[in-house]
Amino acid sequence: MSTKNNRILNPEGGRYPFKVSDEYFDNLTARIMAKVDEAEQAEDTYTNESPEKGAKLVSINDSNTRRNKRWLSIVSIAASLAIVATVALKFIPWAGNTAQPTDELVAEYTADDYNEALMTYTMADNMDVYCYLESGDDMGAEDAY
Amino acid sequence: MRKIDEQDILQRFQRPETKRAAFEEMVGAYSRQLYWQIHHLLQNHDDTDDVLQNTFIKAWRGIDGFKGDAALSTWLYRIAYNESITWLKQRRQMASIDDEDFVEQANFAADDYFDGDETEELLMQAVSTLPAKQRQVFCMKYFEDKKYEEISSLVGTSVGALKASYHIAVEKITNFLQLKE
Repeated sequence: MSTKNNRILNPEGGRYPFKVSDEYFDNLTARIMAKVDEAEQAEDTYTNESPEKGAKLVSINDSNTRRNKRWLSIVSIAASLAIVATVALKFIPWAGNTAQPTDELVAEYTADDYNEALMTYTMADNMDVYCYLESGDDMGAEDAY
Repeated sequence: MRKIDEQDILQRFQRPETKRAAFEEMVGAYSRQLYWQIHHLLQNHDDTDDVLQNTFIKAWRGIDGFKGDAALSTWLYRIAYNESITWLKQRRQMASIDDEDFVEQANFAADDYFDGDETEELLMQAVSTLPAKQRQVFCMKYFEDKKYEEISSLVGTSVGALKASYHIAVEKITNFLQLKE
């Protein structure tokens, strides 16, 4: 199929349909070199830029600065820990009560007290307790067989 | 294009007192050729002029690192190609277009530097729809009648891949023209 638009593409190639005046190319080298010089000057200015007169220079790599920073962090950590401990002792009820139960307290609470409390709770009298103990002995004998 | 002795130029680049003169000679020898190679991609005189200047500024900054592993023309061509692609991406971003395959509608009739008739305008519109690599290969082959071997040494792509690129480009242009009928 050969149509009008298909014939636009010439097998032999074609002419690039743009033009630029010869004057442009005559001056091109000079213009480019001027731009190159300009760029280089700008780069030199940037790399050799000196600080303003009287400006105080602070080096972040200075050893004094590093030492001061270390001390500051140690002091701030210690202060934080002290604050946390104070708050804990003041507001948390069990935090300050670290006393162990004494011997007197342990002695007060004896086995008799426990049995008496248990009998009151189960509403059992002495007779019930004897019956319970006897049946326990019998069961123990049966288990032995 | 003026012929220059690349070895001589490279030696002069090494000496600070001759570096600038050698670079100026190189600019004179390659600027016209590079102008048209950039223009194939950007299709606009003002953009091409800017990118050409950027190309040589980059070349000047990188000249100390150039050891002559590739031809000077190849090295310059690659800088120019990368600069053109960067420029195209910036242009696309400025227009807030995210689509990689977006194709600008070129208005060649309004371009003072356009020197063609309606048929040539239509052909250039078809060319402007091609991706950068295909556009470059098509223009070098079709408009500049360069041999594939010559293009290959310039762009660093195999002859087979270039032939395939050119074939696909011709197909796309033909389809574009058929749709315009």
